[in-house]
Amino acid sequence: MLLQSQIGSLLHQDHMTTIETLQGLEELLGSHRKPPAVDAALAERLGALAATLRAEVESHFAFEEGHLFPMFVSKGETGIVMMLTHEHRSILPMAVRVAELAQAAAAQGFDEQSWRDFRDTGVELVEREIFHIQKEEMGLLAAISALLDDAEDAALAATYKATVK
Amino acid sequence: MFAGAFMMGAKDRLLPPVIPFRFFASAVLFHVAGWAVLAWGAQDVPGFQGGGGAVVAALHLVTLGVLAMTAMGAAYQMLPVATRRQLGPAWACSLSWWLFNPGIVALGLGLGTGWSLVLEVGAGLCVAALALFGLLVARNLARVDDLPAVTWPAWVAMASLAAVLVLAVVLVVDMDVGLLTDRPALAATHALLAGYGFMGMLVVGFSAVLVPMFVLSKPVDDAQGKKVAAVAALALLVAVSGTLGRVFWLQALGCVLGLGAVGLYVVMQRRVLASRMRKKLEPFFRLLKAGWALQVLSLAAALALALGAPADRLAPLWGWLLVFGWLLSFATGILQRIMPFLASMHSGAKGGKPVLLSHLTHQRLLDLHAAAHGAALALMMAAIVLDQPLLARLAAVSGLAGALAFGGFAAVLMTRYRAHERSS
Repeated sequence: MLLQSQIGSLLHQDHMTTIETLQGLEELLGSHRKPPAVDAALAERLGALAATLRAEVESHFAFEEGHLFPMFVSKGETGIVMMLTHEHRSILPMAVRVAELAQAAAAQGFDEQSWRDFRDTGVELVEREIFHIQKEEMGLLAAISALLDDAEDAALAATYKATVK
Repeated sequence: MFAGAFMMGAKDRLLPPVIPFRFFASAVLFHVAGWAVLAWGAQDVPGFQGGGGAVVAALHLVTLGVLAMTAMGAAYQMLPVATRRQLGPAWACSLSWWLFNPGIVALGLGLGTGWSLVLEVGAGLCVAALALFGLLVARNLARVDDLPAVTWPAWVAMASLAAVLVLAVVLVVDMDVGLLTDRPALAATHALLAGYGFMGMLVVGFSAVLVPMFVLSKPVDDAQGKKVAAVAALALLVAVSGTLGRVFWLQALGCVLGLGAVGLYVVMQRRVLASRMRKKLEPFFRLLKAGWALQVLSLAAALALALGAPADRLAPLWGWLLVFGWLLSFATGILQRIMPFLASMHSGAKGGKPVLLSHLTHQRLLDLHAAAHGAALALMMAAIVLDQPLLARLAAVSGLAGALAFGGFAAVLMTRYRAHERSS
């Protein structure tokens, strides 16, 4: 039901990738009390984390706010748009910050301060983003199926492929 | 079909937070009161066969004060969002709370002391509150035709509630007038309809909503949800007929059908969990899983009773497994997750960041509750089987400690939520 629309399927795939990334981050943060030594494997992992966060969060949010939400607003579904946009405002800076810290650590390693920043911001990011994805999976994707016709769905999917992937 | 629709327009259809939180706050307080009264009369639990006194008062403080109160708060908040139909005016939801709280207190007092006037007033208020709740929910369900995994079990629950209320009135009147020839059979029917019918089927309906949402999984399959509700309804009809008519093979058949419904429900929930995106299950699942296991044991105990096993041990064990084992474990599990979830959803309305769930949740107090609750369940089962009143008191004291820890969790949650709202 959630994936009846093309754009719903594409956004769902983004969510799957993001959740996997966040679970990986959660595991990394949970398994080190002190700054871990950044070897080649961890550096690669941190680089991938930074890239995924930028791709999945930054561009995903931009697509929703730039293309999907205006369509919702035009159909009178303002409540969910307000709630999700509001959450984007708190999540995005955090995701960008974690990506920057991960990228820096991949190059220079962690010290006490950078690890503490990375851990504290990362823990909060995981919690906020998972709660946000819960809302999008349970509401937004269903709303897409209920509100958009086939032509609108196809147009949004084309825009998504051109701008996000 | 439900899960995907849950959040759509959620913010528009959420009741003012004060309404569900009033119900949840009452549930937390009655949770403490129920265990405290049980601790007082715990020596009577082993061998308990019904009648008045502290045990039956504690039972109603828990069934009405915690289980029904939680169900009402959750249903008022979630059903209109889930079904995308209005549930009813907010004042009617509030009225049911105003009727229900004094009703439960008076009913508990009346059952505990035998003061018939207090009992009758309490019963009247409780019946009025629950009837209002039933009407509001039924009115909402009547407008929905696309969420069978939720609405089918909810209809069975509402039909059971109607029967429970009629039987409750008859049982209360009988205490004064003495009109019943077989009061124990009617009391047992009241208990099984309230436990498995009203609360049990609400558990099935709520599970279809909440579990997929919390673990990010595929929604419950509609056909599977209908099958669970249909088999459970048949089980209830057969069991009620067998209990009222004292036809033991019908009682046994009802238990077997009930076990079949539970089997289908567990398969359905396992599929939901297997398809989840969120791999780490949160701590509240330990209570849900314990509840699901004890639900099976309660039906096994009921089956053994129907097949002629001695009632002095098995009857109280059955009641314990049903109410405190299955339903109370499930209700406290859901309550500890839904309270911070709703608080977070309602927070940040003034433009600040929504408060974090982890900030609202005092996990150590919840761990303490889970440990004390688990110990209480195990100790009371041992007390009933071994006929040990002292062990029963120890069990109830452990349950009381757990309830106090749960109350601490709720107090911390509300304090932190209010502080966040003031600062944002």
